[in-house]
Amino acid sequence: MANLNAFGIGVAPPAGWDAQIYSRSADPRIMTPLGVREIVPPIAHIANFALPPVRGDFGGGAVELMESGAVFIALLEHDASEAGTALFMGKTTPWPLNPDDFDPNNLQRGIGGQAGCQRFFLVNGRPFCLYVVIGSHRLRHVLVPEVNAALAAVTFD
Amino acid sequence: MTVLVVLLALVVALLAVLVVGLLRSHAEILRRLHELGAGIYDDEDGTTVTSPASTTGGVRSPVELRTRPGVPEPRSAEGLVATDAHDIAGMTPTGSATMAGVVGTGHTTLLAFLSSGCGTCADFWRAFGDGEGTRLPGRDTRLVIVTKGTEAESSSAVALLAPAGVTTIMSTEAYDEYSVPANPYFILVDGPTGRVLGEGAAASWSQVSTLLGQAAADAGLALDGSPLTRSAPAGRMSGPERAARADDDLLAAGIGPGHPSLYPDHLVGGDDAALPQTDPVPGSPADQGRAS
Repeated sequence: MANLNAFGIGVAPPAGWDAQIYSRSADPRIMTPLGVREIVPPIAHIANFALPPVRGDFGGGAVELMESGAVFIALLEHDASEAGTALFMGKTTPWPLNPDDFDPNNLQRGIGGQAGCQRFFLVNGRPFCLYVVIGSHRLRHVLVPEVNAALAAVTFD
Repeated sequence: MTVLVVLLALVVALLAVLVVGLLRSHAEILRRLHELGAGIYDDEDGTTVTSPASTTGGVRSPVELRTRPGVPEPRSAEGLVATDAHDIAGMTPTGSATMAGVVGTGHTTLLAFLSSGCGTCADFWRAFGDGEGTRLPGRDTRLVIVTKGTEAESSSAVALLAPAGVTTIMSTEAYDEYSVPANPYFILVDGPTGRVLGEGAAASWSQVSTLLGQAAADAGLALDGSPLTRSAPAGRMSGPERAARADDDLLAAGIGPGHPSLYPDHLVGGDDAALPQTDPVPGSPADQGRAS
């Protein structure tokens, strides 16, 4: 089991999985609803299928390729200034996840058969968003343990 | 008369020298042939036949064979690959830590070990970049380009060469794990079994395509010409396809690149639209406008 470490995030996905930890360049054309330029903290993607090189932070471009047995995990760090907001305060690492945490309505973009789960949490004072997509809502009792196994190997500095 | 006898003696002496020279040359040829294992007298008493090849009377002693300069030599005399497959971990040319699953996947992976400075590699970079190398026989084959790490390669040079749609990983460890002898080098791995189906080097993409196609066929994989880059299941648009459709729709509506409506000075819903949401979902306004 190989390890990836970058930006204070460590992942060690099972054999055969893809993973990447990155921080893309900020797009100067993107403005937040608060009228400021976007900030792009580190992002980690873990998947049990071949991740396309070009994809969005929440897996756009990748989730469309998912088949029923596929799993996609995105860990997105938020700006440290948000650590004190109600969104993150008092929330610890949310895994292991429950199969019933997943719902087709939790997807950023609804794709037939898929289901998603999103959680916000703080770890070591760093605010994170966890976004997980499974290829089949019906297979959630099979796929969510795989998700939990991959998440169990995630570490934070 | 005396002169005639002397001349005759000289001619005889000259012929004698010539015959001795020919005999020595013949002896030298026989000695060299014997060293090569030709063994013209070995079929007689006491000869032990050790392999079917030796019954042909050809070369029997080990002979050092070399490939052309620049072409790596095979690693196994039996023609079998000598490497176990591994997942590939390293850095992208843009500096991201990345890992590509190779073993235990549901697809075949073609690992293309290339260098930014190798002249022969240029053809392969071009083939992958312009789409010539985007189809290959195999089981939903995925192409992964591997270069050495930043200690041996310029990440900016690799970034310029790396095709946008192909996973490119800089990893010296991968070179070591796969015992890659030189650039360019190609290894085809069957994901479900973790078996290396074939490996080798060639001077052009067409040669690699043919050789690996044969390796896939020998392994019983369908020669279906699967695209190297995965496509969305039938009826489902991929991200780039959706982006292209959106661009087409916007252009049809008269909204092109740089159109003012794409860069609003204020929010459509007014300032209230910027209020934090209690339970944001990805892509929602409270989600900081991240790319999807």
